[in-house]
Formats: sequence, structure tokens, C-alpha cells
Amino acid sequence: MARTNAYDPKDRAADDAELHRRLVYGDEAALSEAYDVYSGLVRGVAVRVTRSAGAADDVAQEVFAHLWARPYAFDARRGSLRTWLTMLAHRRAVDWVRSEARHRKAVTADDAALHAIPAPDPGPDERVVDRERSLLLHSALAQLPLPQRQVVHLAYFAGRTYRQAAAELGIPEGTAKTRLRTALHRLAETLADPAEPGYEAHERGA
Amino acid sequence: MATDARDHATVSELLGAWALQALPADEQRAVPAHLADCEECAAEAERLRATVRTLNGPNGNGANGDGSNGHGAADVPQDDAAGHPFRTGTGPLAAALAHRPPVPRAAPAAAPHAQPYAATVAALQALLAEADDAWSTEVVHGWTVRDTVAHLIAADEPLAVHLGLPAHEPPAHEPPADAPDDGGDWRTAWEARTRTVIAHERARDPHATVAVWRDRAAELLAAPAATDPELAAQAATLMGARLPVAEHFLVRAFETWIHSHDIGRALDRPVPPPPAGHLWRLVRLAVRILGQALGPKAPPVALTVTDASRTTEWVLGSEDEPVRAEIALDPVDFCLLIGGRTAPDTLPPGTGDPTAARTLLNRAAQLAWL
Repeated sequence: MARTNAYDPKDRAADDAELHRRLVYGDEAALSEAYDVYSGLVRGVAVRVTRSAGAADDVAQEVFAHLWARPYAFDARRGSLRTWLTMLAHRRAVDWVRSEARHRKAVTADDAALHAIPAPDPGPDERVVDRERSLLLHSALAQLPLPQRQVVHLAYFAGRTYRQAAAELGIPEGTAKTRLRTALHRLAETLADPAEPGYEAHERGA
Repeated sequence: MATDARDHATVSELLGAWALQALPADEQRAVPAHLADCEECAAEAERLRATVRTLNGPNGNGANGDGSNGHGAADVPQDDAAGHPFRTGTGPLAAALAHRPPVPRAAPAAAPHAQPYAATVAALQALLAEADDAWSTEVVHGWTVRDTVAHLIAADEPLAVHLGLPAHEPPAHEPPADAPDDGGDWRTAWEARTRTVIAHERARDPHATVAVWRDRAAELLAAPAATDPELAAQAATLMGARLPVAEHFLVRAFETWIHSHDIGRALDRPVPPPPAGHLWRLVRLAVRILGQALGPKAPPVALTVTDASRTTEWVLGSEDEPVRAEIALDPVDFCLLIGGRTAPDTLPPGTGDPTAARTLLNRAAQLAWL
């Protein structure tokens, strides 16, 4: 099967395995290599969810601190380091926005404050609603089953085609296609019926 | 509408990837024509694309929002367009590094012989940090995770005592394994010491057991023999093996890795083998120990160890006869064989005289003292 470019997931997997090995054995230089390769992607994911460069920096730092302090949390049998890091960044970013929202509600019910923190450019109420809907979807995305989440992360955050994602994950191309479609349908259903996916529904309660 | 059914089946499968702009260009072209023709797909496409737009949020990022051809999501990592320079260097890393206890390590330039041990200590320390609540998980030999750490305390003791460090509580009744070495006696003393320390540690908080092990490792790595190659070149007989102290540090690395490997398996946290440079030092150590065990009269066997980057061959046994058999192994398999974690009959049998090859593999498996 022809690939669309020279990207070879096998090389990356071997590099990741070696990088992970050195992280496990406490080689600090390995952490800085991982940072060089993946911090752009990790920050990009966090910026998308948080809309805040400062928050994205914090998330990136948390993600790499976690990689360093808990190197065994990454399991090469269950996916690439790239997807693992973006999934971790995504989850932390969603948590950041949630706790930010909780904090705002706790501090003041004032609408002005609601606009002030995450949105650099406070807009009309519609934008606040859009942001809430966006967060709702990201929360749902963070809860997709792992196989679907991995493909979505590669396609949406890492810019992979479904064929590249399939190669990177070692699954058939048809499976990658189907998983993307199924995952998006699930997210679409979340929007149609926000009560369904569970805990974030309470948070939106008001 | 006269929609081609095959077209419909193909395109509808693509719609998820299409909405995420994750289609290669050739397939991307096939979609709009069909959407113009097929209301069902057009509705689904709009629904999925709207979902992606919502995911993008109010500012849209311009990445996925406009339905244009191409591969917009690839731009996301560069969305420092907001004016935040891409940060490299050590600033954020210094903070990240603070999240793991510093590894007790010998000075890098001074003590290559102690580096593999320092690295395996770091790996086990990180593993034990993830072992909370799993202290009583059974690992090997009927030992739990905590018992395995206690065993390492006992196993580190002969080298520690040799280097002038005090023995761990409770005191041993006899000097531990560096008592005169005649045949198998060290094994008996060593196993008794392990039992004593395990029993002692079972009455304590597992974190205290880990702290004793870790502090002992740090003391070993801070000892002059860990940093001074001349001191480390002096031979000592420990646990039945007369080797330079530098090699005894490698034995500590070997055993710490093997037990980490055991704990990792028990906790479903696979421990990768040491980095290649360290692993090959362990291979050479294992070859030396195996060569000593076989003695100069064994039928000679060529042992080849190969990984992705290098191959090394040794001839073990008698130097006066032609090689009787050849065995080729991966470095990890070879170490696990010597460590008693791989059975000889699961390995490639080698070529040539099967008895000679079998003798070597069996002898290797019997070395296991771990």
C-alpha cells in the first residue's frame, strides 16, 4: 500500500521504545529529547481545549512531569508515545477548563468574571455557549473507548490521515475509517443529548 | 436520485475521516460529488462536520472549520501564532524533573562500572512508586513485592559489608555471604539471610522497607569504590564469585534488573531491559561467569549474542579443541537465561553437536542464584 509520505511508524515505534527505556532508567537527557519531539503537539492540544497559552504551558509541564515521574504509566503494548502524550494532555486540559469553570462559579456569579478568564477576547453570550458546547464535546472525547480515542487523536490533533493513523496503530485502514466515523457519531449524539454522557452534565446544571 | 450504490457505500464510510480532514487527497476529491447527489450522506456529513466545528470551539482555529480540502489539523501544533514562542530548553524541564526523586548516581565520568547499577536502581525506584497498594502481590519464589525488595536488601549486603558499610537490621548471626567460599556454603548463608530480612521487613511499613533498600543503594553508589576505578579493580570474593569490585557492581545491576523485571510482570508494568550500553556490560559479565562455571575442559561452544546494532562472539570451554556447536542468542534472552528467568528449552537449540550446545544452555540456567 502506497503511503502518502515518507513517514514510517515503525521507525518511530523503535525510537519511542528506546526513549521510553531511557526514561525508565532515569536518563534525564531522554526527557529533554521527548520534550523536543512532542512538546509542540502537547501544547497544541492543550491550547485547543483551554484557549490559553499559559494554561497550555502548565498542562505541558504536568504532562512531561508525569512522563518522568511515572514512566511505567506509558505502555508500548497499548499505543504510541505520541497518542499517549496527546491523550494525557487532552485529559489534563479538560480538567483545567472544568476546574476553572468551577472556580469562577465559586468566586462570583458575576457574568463579567465568566467572560474574563479563559476567553482572551470576551465576546457575546453566544460565544460563551459555544465554548461550553466545545468543552462538553472535549469531555466526551476524553471518555471515548481507547481504540476510538487513539484514532481521533491522531487524526484531529496530530494531523494524520486515517491511513497514516492505521499504520501507526497497527490496525487495518478500514478499521481506522470506521472508528473515526463511529467516534464522531458518538460525539454528535452527546451534543444532541447532553445529559447522556454523565458527569459533565451536572456541571452544566445551572 | 440515481446514486451509485457502490459509491454510496464507499463514501459513507469515509465521512468520519472526511469531517476530520483525515483523508488523503485522492479520496477527499471523491466526497463532494457524491454529497451533491445523496441527501442521506449530505445530512450525515453536515452533522459530523458541525460536530468537528463545535470541537474546534468559537474561534475555530481555522483548522477544521471551513470544509476546504487539505489537512488543516496538521497546523495545530504550530498554533503559537497567538504569539507564544515555542519553548525549548531546560526551563519547564527543570520543574518536570523535580517530580521524580533524584537518582543516586555516581559521578558519570568517574564510574562507568557503577552506572548500570545506578540506572537499575532508578528504574526500580520509579516502579515501586507505582506499586502502592500492591505490596502483597506475589512476584516470584512465593515472595511478594515487599519481600522482593527485602531480598534485595539482603542481597546488596555482601558488597555493602565488603565496602565497610554496616549490615542491615536485624544483625546476621554470622558474617553474611562473604564468609570463606568453599563450594555452595555461601548459598546457604545467603538464603538464610534473605529469610531473616524478609521476616523482619514483613513486620514493617512497606515504604520503610523501600526506604532501607533505596538508602542502601545510595550508600553503595556513594562509596569510594563506586567512583574510584583503582579501588574498584581490586578483587573480592562475594557470593561465591571472585571478581573485581567493579564487576560486583555489575552483579548488583544484574540482580536489581532481574527482580525489577519480576515485579513489573507481577504488576503488569513491563520493565524494559537496561539501555543497550548497560545491557552489553551485563552480557559480558554473564559470559565471564558462565565461562568460569564451564571451566577450561568443557566441549567448546561458540556463543554469539546479537541485537539490532552489534554482534559479539565468544568461545566458551576448552581452547584446545575445535568448536563443537554454535549458539546464537539475543542479549535479553541470554541475560534472562543466566538470571534463571528463561528455560533453556524455550531458546533456539543452536547448531552442531546438540549435546555440547545443551550442556552450555543447561549450565547457564543452573547458575541462577536470583
